[in-house]
Amino acid sequence: MSPAPTGANDTDDVRAAAAGDRQAFQRLYRLHVGRVHGAVYRLAGYDHARAEDLTQDAFIRAWQKLPGFRHESAFGTWLYRLAVNVALMDIRARGADPVSMLDDEHLPDTGVTPFCAAERDELEHAISQLPPRARAVLVLHDIEGWLHEEIGNELGMAVGTSKAQLHRARGLLRKVLGEKS
Amino acid sequence: MNEFEWRRQMRDLRQPLTPRRDLWISIDAALDDAERTHEPVIQTASEHPSKHRQHWLLAAGLAASVLLIGSIGWRLLPASVTPRIANISKAPASWKPADPRLAGAAIELDAARMELQLAIQQAPHSPALQRLLNRTELQQAQLRQLANQAG
Repeated sequence: MSPAPTGANDTDDVRAAAAGDRQAFQRLYRLHVGRVHGAVYRLAGYDHARAEDLTQDAFIRAWQKLPGFRHESAFGTWLYRLAVNVALMDIRARGADPVSMLDDEHLPDTGVTPFCAAERDELEHAISQLPPRARAVLVLHDIEGWLHEEIGNELGMAVGTSKAQLHRARGLLRKVLGEKS
Repeated sequence: MNEFEWRRQMRDLRQPLTPRRDLWISIDAALDDAERTHEPVIQTASEHPSKHRQHWLLAAGLAASVLLIGSIGWRLLPASVTPRIANISKAPASWKPADPRLAGAAIELDAARMELQLAIQQAPHSPALQRLLNRTELQQAQLRQLANQAG
């Protein structure tokens, strides 16, 4: 689930930022913004403006919560998790209902393998068309590599629901991509 | 395509992305504001920023109208009345003078007071809003004195 390590030793900057050193926090921002923004951008349905707002919120929250950071995980992992949470809260705040927004009639039968090949741009565009929470499950599981247990905890759903959502999301994706496989 | 190929294709999408604009400038400014006001700076993206802006514009507009009306009332006030007015701390909740020249000002001031009270409910720790409310109430008291003097 956690993102790949950056390879940079940011411990000193994390401690300094937690003590109120804004310049140290700026260095942390420069180091981690790409990874954080990438994840938020995908969860926000490839919407640049919204993703930028959410990334900004995530760093502001990080600054406020930094004094409580216990160094039990890498700072990058903690920050990434916090940013994902900000993006998911935004999805929840928008009242996204995954079930009602999906059209079961257009989903493939359970026997059909819901995988298909596509160009990167096509794939991203298709993901952006998914209903927000179905997209969140797909992005977290298939792209970010989260486990269903983690997704269930974060989105407040059972593991089975997460699996069902993933299957639905893949099916919708296949439909959007025109069943190219 | 099987699941393994699918996963590889999807994992390829997991790329870092630099924002189109430098977000640090906004983040730094937001943290500065928070330090100045000691108020929370988080505003979720789901909230519409213009809504907050509208509230503040409304409050600012009302404040400007209150000041204008107040200054007109102050000029109309005889000098001998001024010291007595300074002792009046609260104006009644709603009051309309019989003099039509003063009635409009009374309505405006009353509306301004109610709007400011609503704004204070949303930002109870704002000293600026509290000052405006005090000033508005004082101006209502001054208007009342003026109406009494006029008979």
